[in-house]
Amino acid sequence: MSEALQSGFQVKTLFGGVVRVNRALGEGGQGAVYLVDYNGEKKALKWFKQVGLGKKPEAFYENIKQNIIRKTPSEEFLWPLDITEWAEGSFGYVMDLKPDGYYEVTDFMLCKVKFQSYRTIIDAALKIVSAFRVLHNAGYSYQDLNDGNFFIHPRTGDVRICDNDNVAPDGTETGIVGKPRYMAPEIVLGKNMPNSLSDRFSMSLILYILFCLNHPLEGRRYLTPALTPGLQRELYGSDPVFMMDPSDQRNSPHPAVHANTLRVWPCLPDYMQRIFLDAFGRKALEKPSARPREIDWLNVLTRFRSEIVPCPCGNEIFTQQGTRCPCDACGRPADVSFRLVLSGYSIPAVRDTRLYRCQLGTCDEKEALTPVARVVAKADTGRLGVRNLSGKRWDAVNTRGEALKVSPNEVIPLKDGITFTACGETITIRENR
Amino acid sequence: MPTASERGPSPRKELHIFYVLDTSGSMTGTKISTLNHAMEECTQVLKTEAQKNGDAMLKIAVLEFNSGARWITSNGPEAMEDFEWEYLTAGGLTDMGMALDELNSKLHKSEFLGSMMGAYIPIIIFMTDGAATDDYEGALAEIRQNEWFRHSTKIGFAIGDEADSKMIASVVGDSEAVIKTSDLELFARLLRFVTVTSSMRNTSITPESAMDGKSIVADARRQMDIPDSVTVELKPEEYDPEPDPAPDDEWGEEKW
Repeated sequence: MSEALQSGFQVKTLFGGVVRVNRALGEGGQGAVYLVDYNGEKKALKWFKQVGLGKKPEAFYENIKQNIIRKTPSEEFLWPLDITEWAEGSFGYVMDLKPDGYYEVTDFMLCKVKFQSYRTIIDAALKIVSAFRVLHNAGYSYQDLNDGNFFIHPRTGDVRICDNDNVAPDGTETGIVGKPRYMAPEIVLGKNMPNSLSDRFSMSLILYILFCLNHPLEGRRYLTPALTPGLQRELYGSDPVFMMDPSDQRNSPHPAVHANTLRVWPCLPDYMQRIFLDAFGRKALEKPSARPREIDWLNVLTRFRSEIVPCPCGNEIFTQQGTRCPCDACGRPADVSFRLVLSGYSIPAVRDTRLYRCQLGTCDEKEALTPVARVVAKADTGRLGVRNLSGKRWDAVNTRGEALKVSPNEVIPLKDGITFTACGETITIRENR
Repeated sequence: MPTASERGPSPRKELHIFYVLDTSGSMTGTKISTLNHAMEECTQVLKTEAQKNGDAMLKIAVLEFNSGARWITSNGPEAMEDFEWEYLTAGGLTDMGMALDELNSKLHKSEFLGSMMGAYIPIIIFMTDGAATDDYEGALAEIRQNEWFRHSTKIGFAIGDEADSKMIASVVGDSEAVIKTSDLELFARLLRFVTVTSSMRNTSITPESAMDGKSIVADARRQMDIPDSVTVELKPEEYDPEPDPAPDDEWGEEKW
C-alpha cells in the first residue's frame, strides 16, 4: 500500500517520546499495526490510513488523546499509551504489544486454535464481560465490537482487547458504525449510532460464538444461494431471528451446517440458554434497553463455571444443583461429595471451586469477579475445605450449632450442615448422599 | 456433551473473486508480464487474507479471453490455499463477447456458485487493453439477465491507449467503476488494491460505506497517490450503463 510506513520511519509523540518503525505486523481496513521502538521499549503502533480517519480526523485524534489522558479502565484493554504527531496526513497511537500465546476470536472460529475446556471459554467470557462492564460504567462505549478486537489465551482464558481507537464517551459519534455481521439491528438499519446498548448486543454475539461456534442470527435463512445487500439488511437488521428461538423457527439450525450449535446448545444449563434467548429474542433485538446487562452475564457465567466438574476421563461434567451427575462420555457419576447451597442455587464443592463476589448478592463492578472463597485440599490428607478469601471475618455455625469466627485465609472443613455467612449471604455445606 | 475441542469450524459463506483477463496478441511483451506478476502478487495477498477471514471463504476464478475464452480454473472457483498463479501468454483476438458468454454460463448455483453455505455477491474484475473483436453487446445484454452478474461488484481496467473505455464501462455498467491507465506499475498497484479492498470483509464501516465498483475505485483514488487521468469520464449516453438491480428482498432460490 502506498501509505505503508517504511522500516526506520520516525515520528515524535505528543506525550514526549519518539517512535521508530521496525516492521509491519498486520493490516486492517482502518490502518496497519507496526512493531516499533518507543523510547527504548518494544511497542505496537497503529497507523491509520487516511480513509480510516473518518469525516472528522481532528475530532478522532482528540478523542484518542483524551482516552490516553484518562488512562485504561481495566488491564484487559490494550489501551492507547501515546499518540504521534501528524505526519504525512495521518497519525498513529502507541499501545502494548499483544502478549505471546494469545489468538484472535477469528482463529478460534476457524479452529486454528482450540480452547482447552469449557471452563476456559467461561473464563474468557467472564473477562470480556467484566472488561465491558468497567468500560461502560466509566461512561465509555466501545462502538465497534467484533471478532477482530479480542486476543484470547486458549489455555488460561485471559483476554486482551485491542482496537480501542473508537472508544468514546457513550453517545459520541465517531463515524464508524461497526463491522457487518456484528452490528446491532438498530445500527444496521441506521436508526441509531453505536452506544453501550449496541455494544451489549455485539458482546452477546461474541459470547454465543465462543460457546457454539456459530453466528446466532445465521441459521437456515443464511444458507440462501446469494446473500444480497437487501437480504443482509433483513437478516441482521429488519427481521433478525435467533436460530434457537423456539417461538420463531424460520431460522432454525441446519443439521449439517450448524452442528456445533446443535451439539452444544442442548447441553447448556437452562439459565445459559435463557440468557441467550433474552439476548437474541425478539424483544432484545427490537429494544436495546431489554438486552441482558453485564452483571446478568456475570451472574450466569460464574454459576456455570462453578457447576463444571472435570471427569477423570477428560470430559467436563455440567453438574446440576451440585449433585453427582453422570459423565455423558464415560457414564461415571461426577466425583462430588459435597455441595455449597447458596440462596438461589447450589454448586458442587470440589477442589478449586470458586465463589465469586457477584454470586453473593449485589456488588460493585470492580469486585464482581473477586474470589470470595475457594475449595482447597489439605496437602497431607487431601480433605477438602472452604478457604476464606474475602479478606474479612466470616460468621459460621458448626455442626453442633456453635457460632464461630472464620478469619481470612482460614479453612472450614467440608461437613454436612456447617453454615457460614460471607458478604451478607449465608451458605450451607451439604453432603451428597 | 461434545468436548470444547470437538467443535468444528464456524461456517462461512463463500466469496468469489472472478478475474476476466484479456490475453490477446496486443498484450504481448511488458503488458502480459506485468499482468502475470500483478496476479501472482494478488494471489499471495488473497492467500494471506483467506487464512484469517472469519466472514468468508475466499475463492478465485480466472477466465482468460483472446480468440475465444478459457477458464484457468476450469473445475470452478478454487479455495485460495489450493491455488497457484499459472503464467499466461498472449496471442489472438479480443473476444470479449465470448468471455461474457462463458462467464454467464458459469454464474449459476448449478455451475460455479453452488455450495451448501451459499455465497456473498461475487466480485468480478475485468481487464482489457483493446477493443472487442466480436459482438460483445449481444452477450452483455444476455448476461445482464443473470442475477449474479447484476448484483455483483464489477470493476474494469482499461490498459493502454488502445483500450476501449466505452466497451469496458458498458461491461461493468458504470464508467466510475473503470480505471484507465498506461502506467503498468500503477496498474499492478491498483489491481492489488482493488483485490484487497473487495475481498476484505473484516473491516469496520461508516454509514456511507458501500461495496460497489464505483466506491472501491473512489477509495483507491482517495487512498493512493494516483493521477486524475485514471478516471473515465463518460456521459450516460456515451456508453451503456447498467440499470440498478431491482430491490431484492426475496429468499427464493429459483432465479439464482
